[in-house]
Amino acid sequence: MLTPELPATPAPEPAPEPSSRGRAEAFKRRTSWRRKPELGLGGGMAGWALLGRLGGRLWAAAPGSPLRAAAAGALGVRGQLGLIVRHIDSATWWHEHLSEENVEFLRKSAAEECRAQTASKLCPLKDEPWPVNEWKPDSIRVGVIAVKLGMMPIWTKSGKKHAVTLLKVQDCHVLRYISKEESGKKTSQLIVGGKNASPFSKSEAAMEIFKEAGVPRKQKISVFNVTDDALVKPGTPLYAAHFRPGQFVDVTARTIGKGFQGVMKRWGFKGQPASHGQTKTHRRPGAISTNKAAKVYRGKKMPGKMGNIYRTSLGLKVWRINTKHDIIYVNGSVPGHTNCLVKVRDSKLPTCKDHNKNPPFPTFFADGDEQLPEDLYDEEVFQFKDPSVTYA
Amino acid sequence: MRVLQSVCFRIHVELSCRIRLVGWITRIQMALLNRRLGLPLTHLSSTVIQRHLSITGACQAIQKLTRVRVVDNSALGNTPYHRPPKCIHVYNKTGVGKVGDKILLAIKGEKKKALIVGHKMPGPTMTPRFDSNNVVLIDDNGNPLGTRIKTPIPYSLRQREGEFSKVLAIAHNFV
Amino acid sequence: MAAACERLFRRSALVRVAWRGRCFSSSGYRTDSDGKPAKFQPPPKPVIVDKQKLQEERRFLSPEFIPPRGRKDPFKYYMERKDMIQRRKVFNIPEFYVGSILAVTTADPYANNKTNRFVGICIQRGGKGLGATFVLRNVIEGQGVEIRYELYNPRIQSIEVLKLEKRLDDNLMYLRDALPEYSTFDMNMKPVSRLAHEEIPVNKLQVRMKPKPWSKRWERPQFNIKGIKFELPEEKMKEAQKWSKPWLEFDMLREYDTSKIEEKIWKEVSEELKK
Repeated sequence: MLTPELPATPAPEPAPEPSSRGRAEAFKRRTSWRRKPELGLGGGMAGWALLGRLGGRLWAAAPGSPLRAAAAGALGVRGQLGLIVRHIDSATWWHEHLSEENVEFLRKSAAEECRAQTASKLCPLKDEPWPVNEWKPDSIRVGVIAVKLGMMPIWTKSGKKHAVTLLKVQDCHVLRYISKEESGKKTSQLIVGGKNASPFSKSEAAMEIFKEAGVPRKQKISVFNVTDDALVKPGTPLYAAHFRPGQFVDVTARTIGKGFQGVMKRWGFKGQPASHGQTKTHRRPGAISTNKAAKVYRGKKMPGKMGNIYRTSLGLKVWRINTKHDIIYVNGSVPGHTNCLVKVRDSKLPTCKDHNKNPPFPTFFADGDEQLPEDLYDEEVFQFKDPSVTYA
Repeated sequence: MRVLQSVCFRIHVELSCRIRLVGWITRIQMALLNRRLGLPLTHLSSTVIQRHLSITGACQAIQKLTRVRVVDNSALGNTPYHRPPKCIHVYNKTGVGKVGDKILLAIKGEKKKALIVGHKMPGPTMTPRFDSNNVVLIDDNGNPLGTRIKTPIPYSLRQREGEFSKVLAIAHNFV
Repeated sequence: MAAACERLFRRSALVRVAWRGRCFSSSGYRTDSDGKPAKFQPPPKPVIVDKQKLQEERRFLSPEFIPPRGRKDPFKYYMERKDMIQRRKVFNIPEFYVGSILAVTTADPYANNKTNRFVGICIQRGGKGLGATFVLRNVIEGQGVEIRYELYNPRIQSIEVLKLEKRLDDNLMYLRDALPEYSTFDMNMKPVSRLAHEEIPVNKLQVRMKPKPWSKRWERPQFNIKGIKFELPEEKMKEAQKWSKPWLEFDMLREYDTSKIEEKIWKEVSEELKK
């Protein structure tokens, strides 16, 4: 249907551009102009003048002023030059072959389709659901993909302050089930996608997985290892209520990239003194091996690219869940920058197992029997509708 | 009391002006002033001398060689001396003293233990921050040397009530 | 007579009486053009306009409601705002500014059923959203004390405004280096009464400083302080101007116009608080 070189989101057009048909013509004209340079002006000036005139031609169509001579003066040329500066998007396949109306139509239809797909999946229990099992202590549930919104403080009933991170579960769907035999791993796997994205920038092959599940294209896809009793049918939406306040979660995300860094920042080496006769040696690693070893050991801490790797913070307490907006309030900080997509799952730490008992299994179904209030709090959390804390 | 304070203050300003001009003669003048006015200028004089000796600002947290202010009414802490009391050791793991930590002071050529009751460095929110580094002199058993603390001390010391009960008992003001 | 009448009314306190049509005194004796006495017309009812209500339109939005500029999702600030409004519904957080004198009562976690009260001048307001703070300063027994309070901390039992006023600056951190009398306030201070509709008075006090060194070089243009009476020599003041950065005011990227956001948030907050 569409080729992969299409842009994800066509950028807004520069204001003084003519209408779409006019633009196509102008594009043709531009190329023809380039082919036959006829002016006799010398040096670099000729090129500028040419460009300037070209801009003039483009611009002149509306006011109907005559084409200015190349020798009109540098000022006029500069003024016209600004007009032909165009966005890089205006020369892609999309803009050459589709009129503006078509682009709009495509976008609108894609959005509608996306909405319809999301709506059709809202009641997964109605259409032949997969068997729902009882929770057992050794079963591992699927996790969700969430957007990191930022941090805020939260107070407990004893007046103690904690910092929490807000994670928003946005358009999170189960995409595919991979059995043990297929994957060749120890457990079966579920592929989960989060946050809808434009369908236009992906190749046909890459869109296959979304078509199968019947959900819109996702910005982020991730694999969760699950036990066989915790399987969820592909296409099922996941919500923040999948987790409950008081339980502990692990959050995985790509850390903020720091670029190429030296050993002091990357590994926390001490460096050398700033003064006392030091020459050109202040932040260097020093010796990297010994004479006897006569080689550099593998894994030696050296300068290099820092950050931009997957990191997991383990055992973060869930303080609060907002079921209306699907927000998880997780204790402390999580890796990644704000607005990045993180992977949240039940904590694998043995110390947290006691708190993670009897979760909604295999996940929370919005069309199930369970009716939840808008906000779920841990019992220790101070709720703002209560009066101030007193110590009795 | 307000009048007295303002009087003291005018003298302070005047003195500090004079210090610029005359230098170290001020201490003699101060002694004279002290005798003539009969005012409790001890605390004042100590601050003036401090300023005269070192121009650097006070440390934010209390560490080794921090100049501190003794806020109880013990004789040791209040008689003027040419060298301000300095911390020479902090009895904790970090080496940075906060409210409730014990330190060792070098004061008037003696070594004395003291309890930190306030510092310039801001602590956690909702706890006070003071304009000077305040200590109370204590002996080895934790009993204060003075009998009164007029400057305010933080309520947060109360969480270790058992340890500092005698210090808290002589305090008049809490913030 | 009518004029006198009106003047009297205007003078009389808060409730202003507006007359519809002509004045009461003249209309009673009005005659037609024929000379015949006209039919008696009952005087128009006076419409009572509550001046207080009219003037209450002065809008105040606490500064922590305005989100900082950045790339965070505005939805995050909306979620925080919901909690802030919820707290404001059960707990009265009054309108105050830097320079106002406040009394804050907090629950003492180290003593049962006890509260601590602290009075001081607000020298700084900081933070956005739920983590907003303000700093109170006072001098007690010659000892300068500052406490940084969290506006939405549930440990705070009450916030009282003893004197509502502004100063010349938005940040009074220089009071640390000023003479102590400028930050000394009585702990048992009585609240200064003021009418609700009045403009917030600006206290144009200029403080005198202790001799240098100060914690910061307040005379430098970066602080742009108007509330200090500098008693420095002329050349020192001139020297400080070396650090002025006159080009910054032309930097359009530094501008952050919050008026539109403010309007929107004010509407949202006031509607929610009325419920």
